Amino acid sequence: MNILNSFQSEWLKKRKSMAATLVVVGALFSPLMYLIRLLREYEKLPALYTREQFWITTWNVSWQSMNMLLLPIGIILAVGFVMQIEYNNNAWKQLHSTPQSYATIYFSKFAVLLVMTIQVFVLFNLAVYVVTVIPSVIFGSVPYPTAEMPVGKFLTGNLNYFLHCLPILSLQYLLGFQFRNFLIPLGAGFSVWLVGVISMSWKHSYVFPYLHGGLDIMREMSKSSPPLPIGLNALSLIYFAVFIIAGFVLYVMKAEKG
Amino acid sequence: MNCVETANLTHVFSSGETAVNELNLSVEEGSIYGFLGPNGAGKTTTLKLLLGLLKKQRGEISIFGESIEADRVGILKRVGSIIESPSIYGHLTAVENLRVLQKIYQCPKQRIEEVLDLVDLRTTGSKKARNFSLGMKQRLATAIALLHSPRLLILDEPTNGLDPNGILEMRKLLRKLAHLEGITILISSHILAEIEKLVTHVGIINRGNMVFQGTLESLVEQQERSSYLRFSTSDDHRAAELLKSHKIEPIPNEKGLAIPLVEKETVARINEQLVINKIDVYEILKVRSDLESIFFDVINN
Repeated sequence: MNILNSFQSEWLKKRKSMAATLVVVGALFSPLMYLIRLLREYEKLPALYTREQFWITTWNVSWQSMNMLLLPIGIILAVGFVMQIEYNNNAWKQLHSTPQSYATIYFSKFAVLLVMTIQVFVLFNLAVYVVTVIPSVIFGSVPYPTAEMPVGKFLTGNLNYFLHCLPILSLQYLLGFQFRNFLIPLGAGFSVWLVGVISMSWKHSYVFPYLHGGLDIMREMSKSSPPLPIGLNALSLIYFAVFIIAGFVLYVMKAEKG
Repeated sequence: MNCVETANLTHVFSSGETAVNELNLSVEEGSIYGFLGPNGAGKTTTLKLLLGLLKKQRGEISIFGESIEADRVGILKRVGSIIESPSIYGHLTAVENLRVLQKIYQCPKQRIEEVLDLVDLRTTGSKKARNFSLGMKQRLATAIALLHSPRLLILDEPTNGLDPNGILEMRKLLRKLAHLEGITILISSHILAEIEKLVTHVGIINRGNMVFQGTLESLVEQQERSSYLRFSTSDDHRAAELLKSHKIEPIPNEKGLAIPLVEKETVARINEQLVINKIDVYEILKVRSDLESIFFDVINN
C-alpha cells in the first residue's frame, strides 16, 4: 500500500466536508472584500491603476490580512475539521485496522492538509488577479494596470508565506491527533496566535510560530525593520521539523489507536 | 490449523483494572467462533488487541500463524473488522465510503457493487450515510469489512441495535460467508441466544478470564450433563427420605425435588415406591438447562 493510494483515500474523505468549504471561503474572502473596496472607490481607480507601484500595493494590501489573520485562523480551523472527520465518524479504529503503516497514515493525512493549503494559495492568487482586473472590465475609465507585474517577487513571496504556514499546520496537526475534543487544539491554536499578535511589537516576536507570515509582510512593508538573528524561513522550517517529528513520535507511542 | 491464537494475553488499563488476563484464544480456520461474555468482560479489548488498535502489554498474538507485531500490515490485508459501532463517514454516500477503502486496499472497483449487492444497499444512491438507519449503517460497515475479500472477519457485537429481522439477516449473511467463501469469523456478543444458531465454536470470557472454550457440541454436552429430573409430590420431605434409602440424593428446590437423570425404568420404580408409601406424585419432569443458563452458570462459577 503506497502513500499515493492512502493520499487518494484521505482526499476522498475530505470531499464535501467543512474543510473543503473552508478552502474556498478562506481563499476568496479577502479578494472579495478588496473588490468591494475597489468598486466603492471607483472614481480613484484611474489614478491608482496607472501607478508604477500598483501591483506591489495590491500585493501588500491583499496579503496583509491574509497573513495576519485569515491564514492562521483558517489553518487552525481546517486542520481541526480534517481531524474531526475521523473523530465524529468514530473512524480512527477503522483507519488503523487497514493495512497501512503508521507513517503512511500520518503523512498521507498531512499531505492532504498541505495540498489544501496550496489550493488556498492558488485560488487566492487567481482571485486577487481577477478582482483587480474586474474594474477595468466594468468601468471604461479604469485602464488595465500599466505597471509590469513582478511575477518573480510574487512567486518568491508565495513560497515564503507557504513556508510560514508549515509551523501552524504541523503544530495543529500534532494537537489534533492528541485530543479528541475539537475545542482543545482550536483553543490552543487561537491562544498561540493571539499572544503572537499582542506581542507583535516585541523585538523577539519572531519566536511565535503562528506569526511568521504576519511579521514577514509587516517587515516588507516597513522597509526599515531591524535584522532578525535568524531568517523567518529558516525558523519556520525548524519549527515545522520539530512539530511534525514530535507529532509522529507521540502518535506512534499512543497506547490506543481508535 | 488455528487462524487466530493468543497465548497468555494480558492487558491492564492505566487505572490498574485487568481487562484481559492470561487469555488463550484459539480460533480454528474456517470456523465461526462466538466470543461471548457479559458487558465489560474484556471482549472488545481482546479484539482491539488482535487488530493492533491497543498496544500489546503481555502475551503473544498470532494471526494466520504470524505475529501481529512482525507483520501488522501484511496481516491486516487479510482481515476485515467491525469494532463496536460502525465506522462510516456520514457526509459520504455508501459508494463513496467504499471508494475510500477501495483506494487503500486497491481491490477492483466492481467489488464495490458486489459487496453492496451482498448487503442489499445497492439502491441507496446519493443518500448520505448519516441519514441511514442503524441497520443500514451496520450493513454498510459489513460491506466495508468484506470489500477486500478477507480471510478472517472480526466482528464486535455486529447485531447491536438491530431489530429481530436485522439480526436474522445478519446471521444469514455471515453463515453464507462462512460456508460459501470459507471465511473464518470471530464474532463477539453478550447474548448467547443471538449467535448460538450461527457459531461452530464458543469462547466464554468473564472478567478478562477465559472460562470456557470449545465446540458448540461440547457446550451442548455440558447442557445434557446439567439436565435433571424434578419430582413434585404431596410430601417432599418424606419423598426425599425415601429416595435417599434407594441411594438417590435429591436436591430440594422451590418446585420439588431434583435428582440426576436416571433410566426410565428407575423413574417408574421411584414413582411406584412413592405411591405405595402414600405420597401423591403431582409431576415428574425432565428439566433441561438452556444454553443461556449454562452460559450464566459458566460465568457465575
